[in-house]
Amino acid sequence: MTLFHFGNCFALAYFPYFITYKCSGLSEYNAFWRCVQAGATYLFVQLCKMLFLATFFPTWEGGAGVYDFVGEFMKATVDLADLLGLHLVMSRNAGKGEYKIMVAAMGWATAELVMSRCIPLWVGARGIEFDWKYIQMSFDSNISLVHYIAMAAVVWMFTRYDLPKSFRLPVTVLLGLCVYKAFLMELFVHVFLLGSWTALLVKAVLTGSISICSLFLFVTLVHSN
Amino acid sequence: MFEEASEVFDNMFKSSFPLTFIVFIPAVLILVSPLPAEAAHEFTVYRMQQYDLQGQPYGTRNAILNTEARTVEAEVLSRRCVIMRLVDFSYERYQKALRQSAGAVVIILPKNMSTMPQDIVQQFMELEPEMLATETIVPVYFALEDDELLSIYTQTLTSSSSQGSSSAAEVLIHTATANGFQMVTSGAQSKAVSDWSITSLEGRLAGTGGEDLPTIVLVAHYDSFGVAPWLSYGADSNGSGVSMLLELARLFSRLYTYKRTHAGYNLLFFVSGGGKFNYQGTKRWLEDNLDHTDSSLLQDNVAFVLCLDTLGNGDSLHLHVSKPPKEGTPQYALLKELETVVSSQYPEVKFSMVHKKINLADDTLAWEHERFGIRRLPAFTLSHLNSHREAQRSSIMDVRSVSPSSRHGAGEHPAGPHVDLRKLSRNTKLIAEALARVIYNLTEKGAPGDLQIFTEQMQVQEEQLSSVVDWLTAQPRAAQLVDKDSSVVSTLEYHLGRYLKDVRRHYVKADKRDPEFVFYDQLKQTMNAYRVKPAIFDLLLAVCIAAYLGVIYLAIQHFGVLYSLVRRITAPKTKQH
Repeated sequence: MTLFHFGNCFALAYFPYFITYKCSGLSEYNAFWRCVQAGATYLFVQLCKMLFLATFFPTWEGGAGVYDFVGEFMKATVDLADLLGLHLVMSRNAGKGEYKIMVAAMGWATAELVMSRCIPLWVGARGIEFDWKYIQMSFDSNISLVHYIAMAAVVWMFTRYDLPKSFRLPVTVLLGLCVYKAFLMELFVHVFLLGSWTALLVKAVLTGSISICSLFLFVTLVHSN
Repeated sequence: MFEEASEVFDNMFKSSFPLTFIVFIPAVLILVSPLPAEAAHEFTVYRMQQYDLQGQPYGTRNAILNTEARTVEAEVLSRRCVIMRLVDFSYERYQKALRQSAGAVVIILPKNMSTMPQDIVQQFMELEPEMLATETIVPVYFALEDDELLSIYTQTLTSSSSQGSSSAAEVLIHTATANGFQMVTSGAQSKAVSDWSITSLEGRLAGTGGEDLPTIVLVAHYDSFGVAPWLSYGADSNGSGVSMLLELARLFSRLYTYKRTHAGYNLLFFVSGGGKFNYQGTKRWLEDNLDHTDSSLLQDNVAFVLCLDTLGNGDSLHLHVSKPPKEGTPQYALLKELETVVSSQYPEVKFSMVHKKINLADDTLAWEHERFGIRRLPAFTLSHLNSHREAQRSSIMDVRSVSPSSRHGAGEHPAGPHVDLRKLSRNTKLIAEALARVIYNLTEKGAPGDLQIFTEQMQVQEEQLSSVVDWLTAQPRAAQLVDKDSSVVSTLEYHLGRYLKDVRRHYVKADKRDPEFVFYDQLKQTMNAYRVKPAIFDLLLAVCIAAYLGVIYLAIQHFGVLYSLVRRITAPKTKQH
């Protein structure tokens, strides 16, 4: 389409990040540099993941349309490295829990946005051909911001020493859900043959429920002691 | 945030110079990167003819297309690409599009022409010359229908026909849901092809029995013509004539190999190129033979020139002459022999002589024999058409595509011109018999009228004819597409070489300063149909996104409300523990 369309998509993808950064009070903490550091950690972790995948996971050469369940599951397992990365970021920042979570999540999500959506948007949304997928991609980036905040919160809770025993199981379940969310989504799309809009909606609902759950746990944990 | 960011970047660039490269060069590369060509649909289009003949321009003068698609039903067509299907095509609609200064016209033809109703085919055939008669400024393209293209057409049709008649709200909803299509061709502007040479082929069978034998010349042009060069297969005109000429060459070469049947006539075979462009190949051949060389078979004692044009169908046979032959000449003898053979062997054939004087004031000559007539050589053309104006001599509807099974089916007549093999082989036999009677002077020797020479081993081979016609119609043979390296020419040369001696090529190149014919390129292109939305849609989207962002802003601003709500819900629970 036009540059205007690119502007639309760009605004849709980036403004929520900006608003979140501004409104969450991160700007008052002088957290920009820390967010950049978190982003750098993201890059490092992705590089490691890619090396690992390229070394140990040969390319799937099955027929088209065949879903390699085990292979995809194994690949999703590699995403556990994200948890480690988030933990690394948070352990290097001193401060309150919310602050640590927000810095890690913002840096992480922004780095992902810049690295994986910027170029497709620039190249695709500016082309002559109109496609809803760029709008969908922008919505998807909003969802992934929420996802990373929830994920960072869950990781933070999981690594606390004073986590009550009764919290251990739900936090672990949430952690698993966070890691395997992409895999579950793919499975959904494959099994139920979802359209792109429905898949986006399912993703939003899934991410929303995970975040609500983690919010409940977080609130309970923070205010219980 | 921006101050911090600029500070960070400042530090970054001051401290490490290479980093600027890492950041900036990709950025610059991305900025200048060309837009990708990921089209909704990509299809091949064939451009309408573009040529100049004797300084007169014909056909479309443009090749570049980059506009939005509409159908004729739309209110405004100016600067739009008008697409129409052959079923809905009419001259009025075509003219309407051109009058409203449409940006281009794309006509969608069905994949299989023979499934079309007869009247539509007939109507289109008659329109073809009219479309070409004057020059058209905008590009005109033809595309072959497929499912994707049909769906593009239907979507364009619905969006075009709903315009103007609905309320503003409907239009607004419509812009969001409906797709527009931007049609873009990939090629460059068409330009004149310089130094294009048209190839003609000549071969001969020398007679026996002394010097200065009379020569019979057999001529057929091999090129085809239609509104779009890449779609003109020219089965009947003039694939049938060429296949007949090759078969006659085969038959007479066999007769000429035996001493007892070696006749006292030289036979000169000429497969001419550029026949649809005022017989350029023939013209040059005559000039070469009559003006530039000293000894040529054409210079002395030509008995007659027989041109074969469009002979693959119909039950009538017309001998077109520009001057009725006088009694006692070989021409008259052939006329009489044709009449004899028709009346005694093929009573179902209606044979007649058509007399038409050469009109030098016309832009183009009517029949090929007129080229010879101008040079005072006795000539005539045999055809099943009774007028040179018949549309099927220059139509893209003139295709082979009649499967043998459907031909023998329940009397079903395929639409449009085509080659009926049985009639083609009957006509071949008829002409071969008449020629043989002239060459061996059989009537004077008292042979009966129903004497058949070409029987048993010598009979006309229908498979041979069929394979030649099939091969000729397997590719478009428009004069713009057949160059001197093309397989059409080399295969024809090989075929002639099998039967004839002294097979030679003759090339015609248009004069550089005052060209008689000029061809243009970009006749076949790839067209992309990009799905696009109108500008108003972008604005609508921007408003929606702004609203969404506003909601997000409010939600994040008032996140505390949610937080305290969650806290209130969880607080009693913790007290219960």
